[in-house]
Amino acid sequence: MIRIVRSTIIDAPCDRVWAFLRDFNGHERWHPAVGKSVIERNQSSDKVGCVRHFFLRDGSELRERLLTLSDLEQTLSYCLLDTPVPLFNYVAHIRLLPVTDGDRTFWEWRCTFTTRKGMEEEMRRMVSEEIYEAGFAAVRAQLTEATAPEGPR
Amino acid sequence: MARVYVSSVINGRSDRVWARVRDFNGLPSWHPGVAESRIENGEPSDKVGCVRDFRLRNGDRIREKLLGLSDYDLFCTYEILESPMGVENYVATLRLTPITDGDRTFIEWTAEFDCPPEREAELIANIGGGVFQSGFDALKRQFGG
Repeated sequence: MIRIVRSTIIDAPCDRVWAFLRDFNGHERWHPAVGKSVIERNQSSDKVGCVRHFFLRDGSELRERLLTLSDLEQTLSYCLLDTPVPLFNYVAHIRLLPVTDGDRTFWEWRCTFTTRKGMEEEMRRMVSEEIYEAGFAAVRAQLTEATAPEGPR
Repeated sequence: MARVYVSSVINGRSDRVWARVRDFNGLPSWHPGVAESRIENGEPSDKVGCVRDFRLRNGDRIREKLLGLSDYDLFCTYEILESPMGVENYVATLRLTPITDGDRTFIEWTAEFDCPPEREAELIANIGGGVFQSGFDALKRQFGG
């Protein structure tokens, strides 16, 4: 079992970061690796159990199921159902916590999975850098752009 | 039940910050409000159930009992046995979580307690701002920002 934990601080209140993350289909608008995404069976993206069917920019096709969504805890978790890459038993968790000192956000993204022998390092690097760290950077950039006209806070 | 939640970012790895704060008898070494501390009955300060008897710079004396300590999850939970603060059922937790981006530490300090309703706002401000945030400010200075 491989475990990955990545975390960062976003210089915006939790509610603004959560607005990006709580929409399970919203990654097509903010994550640089994600292309088109739809929720299957026309379900709402905050319906626990819904499945997002999406394409990465490289063309690979994935399906993921929403397992947990909490507006109170600002947490969500999901698992991979179908993927062309050797990620098995992949379950991921996202949580936000307020940094009261400066009204910022602690954002943690972690997962566990198994893979084929010999693929461990490549999968570890792909998930932690291309998915998690790239996601942090994209949300940070979009929040900074959105607040830029108002000047420093 | 009143609740206090204060959190911050310390510019040091969580294992280094933990080394500073895990000693239940170590408040005088990092918290500016605490003048002296001892553990009762000669027990080690990482023995769950031990009691620290400490004195603040303003002269107040407080006794607290260690309820939980984790070197794995990096938290410390304790309750107040005796204090002049006028609180009951006071339980607090100091918790560290690594921030992988930049090798920093997310630090949280929470407390729950009972008190007369008219004193709640004042106590929350004093505990959150006076005790917890001033401890964070000291750690931030000690770890360079």
